[in-house]
Amino acid sequence: MSQELTDAIVNLRMDDAVTLAQRMVADGADPLAVIAESGEAMRVIGRRFADGEAFIPELIMGGEIMKAISQEVMPQGGGPDTESSKGTVVIGTVHGDIHDIGKDIVALMLQISGYTVHDLGTDVPVEDFVTAIKEHDPDIVGLSGLLTLAFDAMKSTVDGIAAAGRRDTVRIMIGGAPVDENVRAYTGADGWGGDVGAAIKLADEWTDGGA
Amino acid sequence: MQHEGEEKLGDRLIASWVSGAHLHFASNDVRQRYQARAQLIVDTIRLRDTGKIPVIPAATQKFAFDYVPVTFREAMTEFDKAFDAYVRQYEDTDFDAYTGPEFIFPAGMFEALAWNRVRLPGVHLPDDKSFQFVEAEYMKAEEYDEYLDDPSDWILRKYLPRLSPKLEPLAQLPPLRNMVAFFQGLPDLVLAAAENPGVVDAMKALQASGEAVQEWFDYLGRIDQELGGRLALPHLLGPMAHAPFDIISNYYRGWRGTIVDMYSRPEKMKALMERLLPWQLQYGMDGAKAQGHPIVTVYLYKGADGLMSEEQYEEFYWPTLKKLILGLVEEGLLVWVFTQGKYDSRLHHFREIPAGTCLIHLESGTDAFLAKEVLAGSQCIEGNVSSAMLATASVAEVEAYCVKLAEVCGKGGGFMMDFSAFLDEARRENVKRMIEVAKRYGRSSS
Repeated sequence: MSQELTDAIVNLRMDDAVTLAQRMVADGADPLAVIAESGEAMRVIGRRFADGEAFIPELIMGGEIMKAISQEVMPQGGGPDTESSKGTVVIGTVHGDIHDIGKDIVALMLQISGYTVHDLGTDVPVEDFVTAIKEHDPDIVGLSGLLTLAFDAMKSTVDGIAAAGRRDTVRIMIGGAPVDENVRAYTGADGWGGDVGAAIKLADEWTDGGA
Repeated sequence: MQHEGEEKLGDRLIASWVSGAHLHFASNDVRQRYQARAQLIVDTIRLRDTGKIPVIPAATQKFAFDYVPVTFREAMTEFDKAFDAYVRQYEDTDFDAYTGPEFIFPAGMFEALAWNRVRLPGVHLPDDKSFQFVEAEYMKAEEYDEYLDDPSDWILRKYLPRLSPKLEPLAQLPPLRNMVAFFQGLPDLVLAAAENPGVVDAMKALQASGEAVQEWFDYLGRIDQELGGRLALPHLLGPMAHAPFDIISNYYRGWRGTIVDMYSRPEKMKALMERLLPWQLQYGMDGAKAQGHPIVTVYLYKGADGLMSEEQYEEFYWPTLKKLILGLVEEGLLVWVFTQGKYDSRLHHFREIPAGTCLIHLESGTDAFLAKEVLAGSQCIEGNVSSAMLATASVAEVEAYCVKLAEVCGKGGGFMMDFSAFLDEARRENVKRMIEVAKRYGRSSS
């Protein structure tokens, strides 16, 4: 463990963090161990975020540092570590809506919190959600949307998952600024969240915190 | 620069906007109703206790289209249909002002340029979906100095070509600063045009885009006449200006790039914001003069709670926004500050602006009752009725929430009833009940 690397990431010093990671690998450290350590530092930022001590810039900057380190030490990319995963999440912004910030942050926080996340992007057709569910067999499906126009798209996505016979195999959460309990009831989802913290809490409840 | 004793730009514009000098009224009665509404809006922003609660629309979109019905695609291409929709909606709903048509941009403006910052219904999205803006990195991190050195050059030869493939040939032009005389600069400039037929095509694309905008402006003029001159509705949305931080994060660097810059090159970012500030101030003032409209609207994007810490807000976001608002207020103009997202922790900053000069829009995520507490005697607040509630809740639920808003936030004036965000899906009976509550409160307290 390098306290130096953890400190550089937690304090969001991008150049220092990347240089340290490069040096560790050059000195013979296992790239996977370096990435695991970076992930640990990200969890510190994630905890601060959850406690209201850090904000979206810290989280995104941390994510950027993680990305830079991964590219440096494992240019060919590494597979997700599914063994210790708390659960699998398929997430995306529903069709007709291209907003991504909220969805990206929830995806990042779920990842930091120990979930395996498959992010389908924005403006995701119903059939792409169904295909991803069949492929990844997730515990949770997250539907994001910023527009009130997204309510119908959320509902048709939930209906499409049901029509594909997968409604009982997943818990569905919806999220986005205009979402509330009325919208949850309208769309037929299992839960809703107005912010990142609510999404993580819901995921932990549904998976017993991964236990 | 304002001199003592001189009438301020804003005072002159307020008087002319309230009088409806730009409209032909269908009758004296319409004129009087228009003037009463416009005066009520100004008085409410000025924090005068009128005993009334004006009810305004943040902007209506699909909510209006459903009156015909019209799709988003049609509204952006067939302006007569959009005209019909807005007229029917405003005939049926008793608002005290109108807003909406100016946000449904002409599809032709974007399509002629293949503008890549927007996803359009009928092109990238289904016809019945709203167009949406794409936020991406259009300015590279290493281009700050280039921008600061010669912004127009960067905009002409870097920004426009990145926004539109039709404008890519502009990148072939030499920097215009090289143009000195016929023997220095002119040969380079004309040769670049002659050797790149794309430059001429780019000009043609601009012309085609401009024709779509001309047609749209003509329609906006007709609708203003119809809604103002016949339905007695003042147009609430006039000139606009942007918070410098939002220009960088929304339009140049993207949110991710901006965040990296906040940590990696904060001084460059601040220098760019200071550079943008006087231009935005001038843009707002020029727009106010051109439109004869005294309320400058500033939509806020990235300063919301949670999007950055209070320290970051104070360091990066607020300083140039504050100077922008103060600059407009100094000219006697009013400012419609349209906060988006939760804004609870930032509200206190608006107390630093002279009282009775701003209209602060609140989305449903912001605690309107807290806002009233924080801004009472300082600035007028409006909004907060959740669009989701209007779309999915019962009339009784809407009634209960709006009554609470009217009683608590309406107390002593300085409050307007409005929904949270642009209105698409909403039950008409819910919207009408929101309006009724505002009007009923006005009658009961006057």
